[in-house]
Amino acid sequence: MNSIWPLLITLTYVAVAMVIGLHARGKRASRADMNNLEEWGVAGRSMGPITLYLLIAAGSVSAYTFMGAPGWAYSKGVAVFYVAIYLAYLALVAWYFGPKVWEFGEQFGHVTQASAIADRYQSPALGALAALVMAIGSVAYAVLQTIGSAYILFVMSGGLIPIWLGVLLVLACIAVYLYASGQRAIGRTNAFQGVLMLFVAWAVGLWAVNSATGGMSFAGVFERIQTEHGEFLTLPGAGGDMSFSFWTTSIIVSMFSFMPPVWTQWMSASSARTIRRSATWLPTYYVVILPMVVVGFIGIYSLPELARADTVALEYAMQHLPVVLVGLLGAGTLAASMSSSEPFIHSISLSLSKDVLQPALKLTDGVTGKLARRLILPIMFLVVAPLAIAEPGSLVMILLVGLGFASQVLPAFIGMFFWPRASRLGVMAGIVAGFLITVAFTTLWPHPLGIHAGFWGLMVNLPVFVTVSLFTPATKADVVERFFRIAAPQGLTRLGRREEQRDLETGHVP
Amino acid sequence: MRRLFVLPNSRAGWGLLIAFVALVLAGTWPVIGLVNRATLVMGLPLMVVWSYCVIFACVVVMLIGNRIVERNDHE
Repeated sequence: MNSIWPLLITLTYVAVAMVIGLHARGKRASRADMNNLEEWGVAGRSMGPITLYLLIAAGSVSAYTFMGAPGWAYSKGVAVFYVAIYLAYLALVAWYFGPKVWEFGEQFGHVTQASAIADRYQSPALGALAALVMAIGSVAYAVLQTIGSAYILFVMSGGLIPIWLGVLLVLACIAVYLYASGQRAIGRTNAFQGVLMLFVAWAVGLWAVNSATGGMSFAGVFERIQTEHGEFLTLPGAGGDMSFSFWTTSIIVSMFSFMPPVWTQWMSASSARTIRRSATWLPTYYVVILPMVVVGFIGIYSLPELARADTVALEYAMQHLPVVLVGLLGAGTLAASMSSSEPFIHSISLSLSKDVLQPALKLTDGVTGKLARRLILPIMFLVVAPLAIAEPGSLVMILLVGLGFASQVLPAFIGMFFWPRASRLGVMAGIVAGFLITVAFTTLWPHPLGIHAGFWGLMVNLPVFVTVSLFTPATKADVVERFFRIAAPQGLTRLGRREEQRDLETGHVP
Repeated sequence: MRRLFVLPNSRAGWGLLIAFVALVLAGTWPVIGLVNRATLVMGLPLMVVWSYCVIFACVVVMLIGNRIVERNDHE
């Protein structure tokens, strides 16, 4: 690719994102306000429904949509749509849990997921443990997205911007506006990135279909696939590795992985109703996946000898699309990577400051706020950048284990939203047991019987959690009561009896 | 406290819970096995059409849920 236009368009996107991010703070929030965790961490709980919709949507649509999803379509076929389904289920999760999490945050002052866990179980140690281990998965996720960003700059510049320089460039841009405007910058830039991605995906998808079939309908592509490669239209897919059990358990495990940035996004809403409204329409955004997946299907017969499946959309664009669209694809993919990595970097910094360093060093809230802002720099340049430049082969493994762990925190949430009797030791025992099983079934014996390792972890985790909880002391009644006044405003049900329990209304939890 | 649990306590609440569970079942095995055929519907693979039916059904169920929640003034 000899044209300068793709690189210029991609760099223009970066410049626009920086301007938006830097101005996100607005006139209302002063520089001093940004040292406050309520402001820098959760944007003063001020985000409206449209910003929140685009924040969550763009945050969940990573570079996977522009590189991985077409790659999966190219190598496996319709199996890729498990992602679209679990993203829609995450909207259901946001609809139910988001408003309650927002009320916890607003009433009890939580700004992170781990602070809510520490508060519910009256255990700063459990909060710190959750923060630390969630940070491992979050770092791996941020590193993967940063590698994707640097790769896009490398391709768009025709190799002029090497990977190491691309990594530093992208992280420096994010660092500037993240430091200046915190969660407000993430909200505004994600809104811009979300709109850009939707436009780019459909423009590239429709143009690619037109160049492949002469029309604008996807039917021509799929009729040819049906005739020549029917195995791409069903499970277990062309690779034969997406069984019904792996499809189902992957969806369930992904659905129950309450990642910390999502929690922070919920707490950034202006009201509980705002979250419900945004979550309701969230699944409509996932039409963004369809056109990019169609490009992957076109690649099956037009680029049959591709060495790396996840480059199919870029390769097809460079061979068949006008340079402007190639540039927009570069900008869209970069937008997807940045919109996903920045919430993770922000939440790592926020949680390590608030849930690990503040209790350990007995810091004041003011010092913790300043620390959270500054901590993004060592996280980015001493952890994320070296890992992204080194591109360790085990990174995907680290990510899988990290995400597997995320689902193992489920007992903490069961005790927060459904079961008052859940105890601190029960949650810890469940997490440890589930984590060990997940690690073993990810590394030593990957996904036995075609069932996701995280699902195996949950099958051990949950019985251990219930058993240990029943034999260890419950959290103090007044703490449980204040949580369940929000989680169960209509009262609790006593299992095994017909009458309903209304103890919370009288202020007494038996 | 050991047997206390959060469950719906109205007919509408139970209806909503059943709808959520039905949505999850619709996108997973065994239901997904019923649409696992290499046929095209409106030019798209049946699995793709079904996936988007499930996705948009999620929107419809949440819209109904909003009416129930706001009617009951749960907020």
